[in-house]
Amino acid sequence: MELFTGASMIKVENVTFRYDRSSEPVLNRINMTIDEGEYIGIIGPNGCGKTTLVQHFNALLYPEDGRVSVDGMGTDDESCVEEIRRRVGMVFQNPDNQIVGMTVEEDIAFGPGNLELPSPEIRQRVDESLAMVGLKNHAERQPHTLSGGEKRLVSIAGVLAMKPEYIIFDEPTSYLDPSGRDRILSIIEEINKQGITIIHITHNMDEIVNAGRIIVMNEGRIVFTGSPKEVFGRVEQMKALKLDIPVATDLVWRLKQRGEDIRTDVLTIDEACLEILSRLQNLHAS
Amino acid sequence: MYNWGQYVPGNSIIHRLDPRIKILSVIVLSILILRVDVNAGLLLSVFMIAVIFMSRLTFQRVISSLKPFIVFFILLFLLHFLFTEGTSIVQFSFFGLSITHEGFYRGLYITWQFMFLVISASILTMTTVPSDLVSGIEGILKPLRPLGIPTHDIAIMLSLALRFVPTFLGEVDRIKKAQMARGADFKKGNIIKKIKNITSLALPLVLSSFRKAEETATAMEGRGYKRGPRTYLRNLRMSSTDYAALVLIVVIMAGIQFIHS
Repeated sequence: MELFTGASMIKVENVTFRYDRSSEPVLNRINMTIDEGEYIGIIGPNGCGKTTLVQHFNALLYPEDGRVSVDGMGTDDESCVEEIRRRVGMVFQNPDNQIVGMTVEEDIAFGPGNLELPSPEIRQRVDESLAMVGLKNHAERQPHTLSGGEKRLVSIAGVLAMKPEYIIFDEPTSYLDPSGRDRILSIIEEINKQGITIIHITHNMDEIVNAGRIIVMNEGRIVFTGSPKEVFGRVEQMKALKLDIPVATDLVWRLKQRGEDIRTDVLTIDEACLEILSRLQNLHAS
Repeated sequence: MYNWGQYVPGNSIIHRLDPRIKILSVIVLSILILRVDVNAGLLLSVFMIAVIFMSRLTFQRVISSLKPFIVFFILLFLLHFLFTEGTSIVQFSFFGLSITHEGFYRGLYITWQFMFLVISASILTMTTVPSDLVSGIEGILKPLRPLGIPTHDIAIMLSLALRFVPTFLGEVDRIKKAQMARGADFKKGNIIKKIKNITSLALPLVLSSFRKAEETATAMEGRGYKRGPRTYLRNLRMSSTDYAALVLIVVIMAGIQFIHS
């Protein structure tokens, strides 16, 4: 294995991918880098290649053309694949099919067991991961008795137990109720604070207003990328792609459309509230 | 049927035995009960009753494990009851069939032998966590590894199968309800109609299972799964009680052999 210590990042160079030779490429000459510790949101309509792209990051898919490397290790180098998969964890869209253990703790032990760690070390990692997602008292439960939100937490714990450097979340809040959603989002934020790079695919723009960078995809290409303010500032372009913008941004943008003199670089309800209040105060004063 | 032999949480001496010992005991007892005569069979039954006591399972629960096999037991009994030759109990014969003393006892005993098999297996599964059961099976198969038997793969396959049984049943229910919502009736109709209904369940079920299997395989790969050796959260370790149980089983085996010969 060729360990390249200089750059901690995922590097995607000119990647093209097709599921079968005759069809249109699902990914079309993608170039991007993800640096250590970043929080990246990936958005785009269904079928734009988001999931296909991220499955290249941990060598579940290989590019037809171009190259993907993780911390300098190419996914085309078979001797690196094991280490790449340890470094890049993936929380899949459907947690039901991701849980393979007969109990919660055994499922979390699956990854570390694949790394052939000794049992005491596995035990320690299982306990730590369970504590991090707040499922300490559910270690012995069977997967089919868990709620949707709990299943998601178990699949996150299973990834954490691998001590990864990057975690990919593929629509982690789908099918969840608001409280389950908030729980997952705060855990993602917590994980990021611990220095783990987050790659977060979603359709819900409100979830990624705190991301460091957002990548917008359409038809297998990266359309544009930037901070949440930059991306959601391009309201017309987003609407043309049939993508949502955060509710707060939409609100101020519509006010602006109606001729109000209002700032539109607003992402959260709190910010929108402040902005509208200050407008109202100006009105009262005049 | 899925509830058959479901694990009953507990902390009895039988619960705590090493799963390898338990599996081995079930195998030994099953072979013995099928080979011995009535006297030795009674001894084995007494031993089994003692085990049930030690496991703190209720008799009711253990007996209920026989329920799914009841038709089989009745047929088995009738077969021997009606087709064994000997001294007749009643003075008539029907198409050459006669009811005999020998037939009655033989039928009873053979049925009991099979009940014994079912009960001992259910005691095993009722006192053993499924995952321990799987590692127990893997442990017992371990000596076969040099012969090229992929024991790790077998263990993973078994645990995946057990893990997905409830998911599978949930899926059946979901598909059934979806069909009922569109007017399918699974209760009414003649046998041909019923078979047709079952096929309409089977196809979506098979398709969705394949999709699930593919997703699960991808997820397993993503979590670093590869064929071959792996480590576990818990390792099986024999305690002094386990060795004692092992000795006991050997003694029983030898004793029965002695009585039998």
